[in-house]
Formats: sequence, C-alpha cells, structure tokens
Amino acid sequence: MFDKKKFIFNLIVLAFIFTPLRISAKQDVLQEEILIGLIPEQNIFKQMDRYRPLASYLSEKSGVRIRLTILSRYGDIVERFVSRGMDGAFFDSLTGVMAVTKLGVEPVARPVNLDGTSTVRSYIFVRADSRINSVSDMKGKRIVFVDRATATGYLFVIAFLQEKGISDINKYFGEYFFTGSHDSAIYSVLDNRADIGSAQSTIFNMLVSKDPTIRKELHIIAQSEEFPETTLCLRKNISSDIKNRITDILLHMNQDPAGKEVLKKFGALKFIRAEVKDFNPVFNLAKRARVDIRGYKGER
Amino acid sequence: MLGITTYRVQRQLSLCLVAIVAFLIFASQGSATDRKTIGVIMTGDIPYYAKMHRAFTAKLSREGYGNVEILLQKPYPDLISWSNAARKLVAVDVDIIVTYGASATIAAINEKTNIPVVYAGVHHPAAIGITGKNTTGSVAKVPTSSLFRYLKGITSISNLGVLYSELEKDCMKEVEELEALSRELGFKIVKINIKRPEDAKKIKTAGRLDALFLTSSASVNMALDPILDIARANRLPTASLLKGENNSGVIVTLSTSPEEQGELAAEKVIKILRGAHVGAISSSTGKDIELIFNLRENMSMGFKIPMDLVTEATKIVQ
Repeated sequence: MFDKKKFIFNLIVLAFIFTPLRISAKQDVLQEEILIGLIPEQNIFKQMDRYRPLASYLSEKSGVRIRLTILSRYGDIVERFVSRGMDGAFFDSLTGVMAVTKLGVEPVARPVNLDGTSTVRSYIFVRADSRINSVSDMKGKRIVFVDRATATGYLFVIAFLQEKGISDINKYFGEYFFTGSHDSAIYSVLDNRADIGSAQSTIFNMLVSKDPTIRKELHIIAQSEEFPETTLCLRKNISSDIKNRITDILLHMNQDPAGKEVLKKFGALKFIRAEVKDFNPVFNLAKRARVDIRGYKGER
Repeated sequence: MLGITTYRVQRQLSLCLVAIVAFLIFASQGSATDRKTIGVIMTGDIPYYAKMHRAFTAKLSREGYGNVEILLQKPYPDLISWSNAARKLVAVDVDIIVTYGASATIAAINEKTNIPVVYAGVHHPAAIGITGKNTTGSVAKVPTSSLFRYLKGITSISNLGVLYSELEKDCMKEVEELEALSRELGFKIVKINIKRPEDAKKIKTAGRLDALFLTSSASVNMALDPILDIARANRLPTASLLKGENNSGVIVTLSTSPEEQGELAAEKVIKILRGAHVGAISSSTGKDIELIFNLRENMSMGFKIPMDLVTEATKIVQ
C-alpha cells in the first residue's frame, strides 16, 4: 500500500508541468497572458480534459494566452483567487456568489448545456434499493457531500434539512464526509460507501448519459430550484479590452465551425451572457440555510 | 493432652478437606455453566474469511469473552462438507453457531436446531432464504454493477468471464445481477463454473474473453492463484467482490471489510452470551466498503490507468 494522496499529487504535478508547455509552444507569439481558475466539479483529470480545448481556442482567437489552473478544492477559493493572482475563474453558483460579494468579480458568460438549460440543480439521492424514501429514513445513515463551498453539493441539503427540522447534521447522521467533487459523491453512493449523497444535476446527468444503468440504481429524493451554471467571472480591474475580446469570442463561438467543435468537446451548445442578478437564487438559498455569505468561507 | 491435640488437628484437617471438596464441586459446576462453546464454520482457507475470523475472536477477547471455547470447522466448499461441519457442531451441542458466508449459513439453518446461528459475510441473505427467528448476522452487500463499472474503465468489455460456483446460492445472485446488466449494456456473459482449483483451466477454453469477474464464491476464491496465473498469461484484467491479501494480484476489488463483518458477528454473539434472544437481535449491514486498485498489476499487464479508479480507490497497491 502507498500514500494515495501523494501519488495523485504527483500525477497532478506532472500534468501541470506539461500542460502549459504544450499550450505555450503553440502560442509563443502571444504577448498578453491571463490565468483562469477551474473548480474541481469532476475529478481534476476530467476537468482539465474538458477545459483545455476551450482555453486553446480562446487563446488562438483572442491573442491572449490563457493559462488554466485547477483549484484543488472549493473552500477558501476566494482567498486563493487573490493569492494566486488569478484573472478569472469558472465559478460554480456558490463560489461565484462568494467571489462577487467579496471581490467584486464580474460575471461574463456561462455555458448552455446540451439539453438547452444554462442552470443546474442540486440532487439529493440514494441507492434505489436502500429503502430510504424520506428524511426520517436518513437518521443514523452515512451522508456524503461535495464541499461546504458548493450550493449543489452541500448548501441546498443543509437548507432542505433545516426546513424539515434537522439543524445539526452531526447528531442526525451516523457519519458524514466530503468527497471534493460531484462525480465522486455519486460514485460513493453507487458503491454503497455512503447511503445518501448530494451533487450537481449536470454532473449526475453526464454520468447517466455515459452509463444509463446509473439512473436505475439511484433514486432522487429531492431537487433544488435552478442555480446558474458554472460561470466565467473576471476580476473587476482586468483590462476592458481583454474582457470584451474574451466575452465576444465566447458568445459567438457557436457560429464558428472550429468553435462548434470546441463546444462539442466541452459539452455545451453555446455560451450566453452572465450577470450578477443570475445569482439571486443562491443568495436566497444562503438565507434559507442561515448562512451569511460575507463571513462564509466554506471550510470543512 | 496429646489426645486432645490430635483430635483438634484431625478436626481441622477434616474441615479443610470438606472446604476443598466443596470448593472443587462448586468450581467445577461454575465452569460447566459459565464456559460457553461457539462453533464456527469457515469455508475453505481463503484470506477474506481468515481476516473475518481474526477480527471476530479479537473482538470477543477485547470484550472479556476470551475464555469461550471456539470449535472451528473448515469444510471444503461442497454440500456434503458444509452439512457435515454443521452436523458436528450440533452433535457437540455448541451454544452458538457462527458461519462465514452464505453456504455455511444455509447448512447450519438446514440442521433445524434451536442453537442460534450468527452469520457474517453474506451478500443477499433474504433473497436466498437466510431468515428465521433463530438467525441473525451481518450483511456484506456490495453492488456488482459498481465493480463492473470500474472494470470497464480498465478495458472495453464485450465478453465478460464470470467465475462462480453453481453450489453457492449467494454468488448465483451475483451472476443474475451481471446477466441483467449485460442485457442492459449489451455485453456477453461467459459463465465459468468453478468447483475446485483445477477448474480454473476452463478459462482457457471459454472462448474470447476481455476480462474476468470473480464472484464472492468460496470455490472461486480458493482457486485464486491458478485463476490469476491464467489471467496474467492471457492479459485479462480481474475484478473481485472479496478482499484478499494486500497484494493478491486482482486488479480491482470492491468488498466489504472482513474485519468489520467479523466484529459485527462478535457483537451479536456477545449479546446472546449476555442473555439476549437471537430473534430480538436484528441483522446489520456492513458500512465499511473498500475499493482497492492494484496499480502494480494493472501496469504490469499494460492497461491504461483508469482515473476514476485512481481517484475513488480507498487503497492503491503499488
């Protein structure tokens, strides 16, 4: 047996050593450069595979070298946005709200999924053969969350439970743990490593589209209202020229054959303009969960 | 004077003798009533059950029941041996029968005695008739579909070799689950019945296979070494529902913890020893599920590294 964390860390380091080289070798004529952060929605390898073609396309079209960096976890994401000198990030709905509130980042664009939606929901799910059908059946069981700094993988569940009279997850559940990514939370319930899970609908549906048996094995007990899809937000003092170029390319890439190919790999139909008001449902969710966004760090 | 002294000594000696005899009588009666005997049926000699048994006895000792007598039966995985093992324990009138695995449990239940039966490591107790007022235990349910999903991440599968024993009802349920999955996902199942280690050779003549799925069958797990030799020689990735040794050679294992199963069985036995009726003790399901990925074996056989497995595994063998 060996240290799994160390092994994964080494793989990540290797991936990151080589990734920028590949992009920069192609783009060595580019002068400007921006660093975009990615949240760990899925495992980081899948996440890099998904975003790398998009970064290359944006670099080529905008003349601005786009470098990607994975934020290893959701918590402290706002602090790390500053400390790592990021120019923007694809935030999920809760980290987006935190970044808008604390840093004043500007939402630029968000993808439209293949089903035509540009929103996500939180699902609370169990194995279909688990005999868990209600909150009362969950008492003493094992629940898995994604991260405290996610709306779909934590905050909705907290709000949902509070509305059912459960205010302390420590007392109500036999065990709870965090997986750090949505797909991992789903696999935990599938494998019976947890009894109840919560995750983002788009990742759930993506796994189901690859393996339809998953839909039969999992039973969705509750789902949230709609929250905005992962949104590209740029820091407030980035040059307006760069911001406009990137926004324009994203909003029109569905009209370009090469852009369409990239969107296909990304798993989206197009990008649409994003605004701060898109995050209103998340502000409401935070109130329901009795969370003050200004002081919330989402730490485990 | 001398006569009086002699009389006193004789009287004191008599009293001592009476006291010693009384002590010995009470002591022997006490041990006859207090010292309990537990009969254990552990099929074959497979690491999963051995780990379970070690955890079972260790838990008993920790809880102050280290003095119970344990009669361990290790039958070969066939119907007559299971039946004989159960019959022997009934004949010596053990206080509790503990069984590891479904087939041993069914053999004990078939004896129709009043001796409580506590099982461990059974995957589908209700579906295969392991019920009754005199029976309780710990369930070791692991989704076969999940294990197949991880195996599919290592190589594409059109023909899956499923190793099972037709004598073992628990693994037959796993075969049924895999058959249902094959109909949904459109791959073919090649069933290979393993009753003894020599049957591993059947893998070579089973036609084209892409991977091997090892059910929880005791017969299959007793034949693990020849199975893995053939798998390596034919470059077939393997998946197992039973955790073996730390580096057994199986590429991906999804298994309940044998240690947890043994401890759960011990908890139930302790309750019975303390006077609880077996019918009042509900069965429990193991919570500790281990996903083990043997990276070393995977790489030596030249397969790609499945990132889902790397990130999800609870243990990686390197």
